[in-house]
Amino acid sequence: MGKSDKQAGKVLLSPELARRRFLMSSMGLVGGAAAGLLPGVSASSNNLPPNVPAWTRSLGSGVLTNPYGQPSPFESNVQRRTVDWLTPDRIASISFTPLADLKGIITPSGVVFERYHAGLPVIEPAEHRLMIHGMVDRPLIFTMEDLMKFPSTSVIRFLECPANGGMEWRGAQMDGVQFTHGMLACCEWTGVLLSTLLSEVGIKKGANWILAEGADGSHMSRSIPMNKAMDDAMIVYAQNGEMLRPEQGYPLRLINPGWEGNTCVKWLRRLKVGDKPWHHREETSKYSDLMPDGTSREFSFVQECNSVITSPSPEKPWKQKGRYWVEGLAWSGHGKIKHVDVSTDGGITWREARFTSIVLPKALTRFGIELEWDGSPLLLQSRAVDETGFVQPTYAQLRKVRGTNSIYHKNAIHTWQVRPDGSIANVQLS
Amino acid sequence: MCSFHSSLLGLLVALLANVSSAEDSAYYGYGKTATLNEISGWNIDVRPDGQGLPPGAGSVEDGEYLYEDKCAQCHGSFGEGNNQFPALAGGEGTLTDQRPHRTVGSYWPYTSTLWDYINRAMPYAQPESLSDSEVYAITAYVLFLNDLVDDDFVLSFENFSTIDLPNKSNFVPDSRPDTFNVRCMRGCKEPDSIQVVTSVERQPALVGNEQPTQLSAQLSAQPSAQLSDPLPVPAGEEIYRQACGLCHDNGVTGAPRPRDASDWRGRVGQGMPVLVRHAIEGFQGESGVMLPKGGFSYLSDQEVAAAVHYMVGENL
Repeated sequence: MGKSDKQAGKVLLSPELARRRFLMSSMGLVGGAAAGLLPGVSASSNNLPPNVPAWTRSLGSGVLTNPYGQPSPFESNVQRRTVDWLTPDRIASISFTPLADLKGIITPSGVVFERYHAGLPVIEPAEHRLMIHGMVDRPLIFTMEDLMKFPSTSVIRFLECPANGGMEWRGAQMDGVQFTHGMLACCEWTGVLLSTLLSEVGIKKGANWILAEGADGSHMSRSIPMNKAMDDAMIVYAQNGEMLRPEQGYPLRLINPGWEGNTCVKWLRRLKVGDKPWHHREETSKYSDLMPDGTSREFSFVQECNSVITSPSPEKPWKQKGRYWVEGLAWSGHGKIKHVDVSTDGGITWREARFTSIVLPKALTRFGIELEWDGSPLLLQSRAVDETGFVQPTYAQLRKVRGTNSIYHKNAIHTWQVRPDGSIANVQLS
Repeated sequence: MCSFHSSLLGLLVALLANVSSAEDSAYYGYGKTATLNEISGWNIDVRPDGQGLPPGAGSVEDGEYLYEDKCAQCHGSFGEGNNQFPALAGGEGTLTDQRPHRTVGSYWPYTSTLWDYINRAMPYAQPESLSDSEVYAITAYVLFLNDLVDDDFVLSFENFSTIDLPNKSNFVPDSRPDTFNVRCMRGCKEPDSIQVVTSVERQPALVGNEQPTQLSAQLSAQPSAQLSDPLPVPAGEEIYRQACGLCHDNGVTGAPRPRDASDWRGRVGQGMPVLVRHAIEGFQGESGVMLPKGGFSYLSDQEVAAAVHYMVGENL
């Protein structure tokens, strides 16, 4: 059927459409090239009123041209990016979510940041198993089919790598909100409450911790306290309405809402119930917070209240004086966002922004505020307050307690400097 | 109409009753019992108290040989770390410095953390390929590199708990919240106190072009560097970079390097089909071993072939 459709389509193709389709496909190949740079596809006056554009005077392509749809080729600049000097290779590495170009609070699955410790495994779902054992009455092995028979739950929650912004502890360093804050995403996650599975296996008395372990080559492992497991932790198989993306742990992952992304073990294969934590490499050598006195905080799970302005940003400069809609994202691992305030003078005066999205606990919340820009330089900041009353700290407050070597959990108020030419610089203030 | 509603209501109540009786059971009976044999294959975790540690032993002497063969390429012969891969030794007393040096000896809390990690994740490209005694031996050697044991030491199940790592007592519970900002709205700072301390300039030519740019930081915690290029590179090179380069970049276990003509002399003569077949199926040569697809079993035959063409192409 697809084949005959294609042939039929060929007969119908006008020379104009064939040319356009050729341009579209060649754009797909060049990927990141900006639309405006390609001859013949730029917004030329031929397409503007009173002229009627070519696409209005011809037939478009048929259904199933893309059996699984992709973003417009004109959006090909919206993609994950990495910073190669951060890691020795791309197999144990990270890529960043393009926050400046995203709308609302849901991160499209294809641009959710990646974090691998031993590369992206290809797992056959029919041969994937989740084993739950240890201090349980009934050690069990579940197939994906088994897991999808349990009552399912869907929640919208953010996911943030605890190292998000970690390159900025000593000073402004990254050129763009994708790199200063892009180890961050928010998706609808669907799966089974971990508490449901734990009651299925039966937890023995004295069981206080669970080791979660991945099926990738790193066998990523983290110790999770029982109270989180019984509260809102979930075993997740779907994301934004479809099965998990491979990059997000297909076919199964753990989600600990509001907690550091590293605990949300991907490609989950095993949960072992025990009475004490395991102190494994990814919760001691890594993902621990070194303090100025030489002590290190272990099991620092919660991603505290944070926010950032995504537009303007280095990626979204202003072009001329005038009225602008300033917007950004706020989130807290402790619950809902209560207020977001915006300052244009480096924190002397603040105005409350308004929420432009639904406000959910432990989810990204979008805020916005209107601003009249007269061309003078600004020091633009956002400051979030969560429902516990916690106010996002300044860099000075953070560094006073934690110094500059703790790598993780940097949630300081961020500053964009708006220059008179409208360009935006990442700066830090005294 | 009224009677229709009440009968519908009756039906709903009946349905709800059924549903709730199912949910009340709290036991679904899904899944199958995990047998001891099944558990044994995956039950790899080790705790500080030794729970999970298999019986066995390994010496510093054996560890040295294994380490040189399997670990030194990335971690350095003395545990100093190569090409950004982690250092394993040194750094004692630096945790309060401006630039702390975090290693097994200076930072890690437990010997079990080391044993468990080597066993679960190392060597990087061949996890779970080491025997228990090899893990003991390499663990012993890393302890030796950190001056924690002597060169005649043998680490075993029996003496494991006697080896303490120096930084163990410095791990403390999370004490956040530890910042206490207030929601001030007006006159929150002295205007004179506000100075831009550090700043990242975007290259002016690129502003608005929305291309990633080079970094130029006045205060850089890292060497300045180029951000990833968003344009796709030819498939063979991409595959090479993501998989093959791990060994072939540096000629690990005799792997021919892409830019080294002498490495390829004698190989190219066999013809591409043979080279591609060796790469796909694996090959034991005089200078070393090529695992099937280099161990990256997810690569298709075509992808492996493309990577081989890329590597050989550099030498034609």
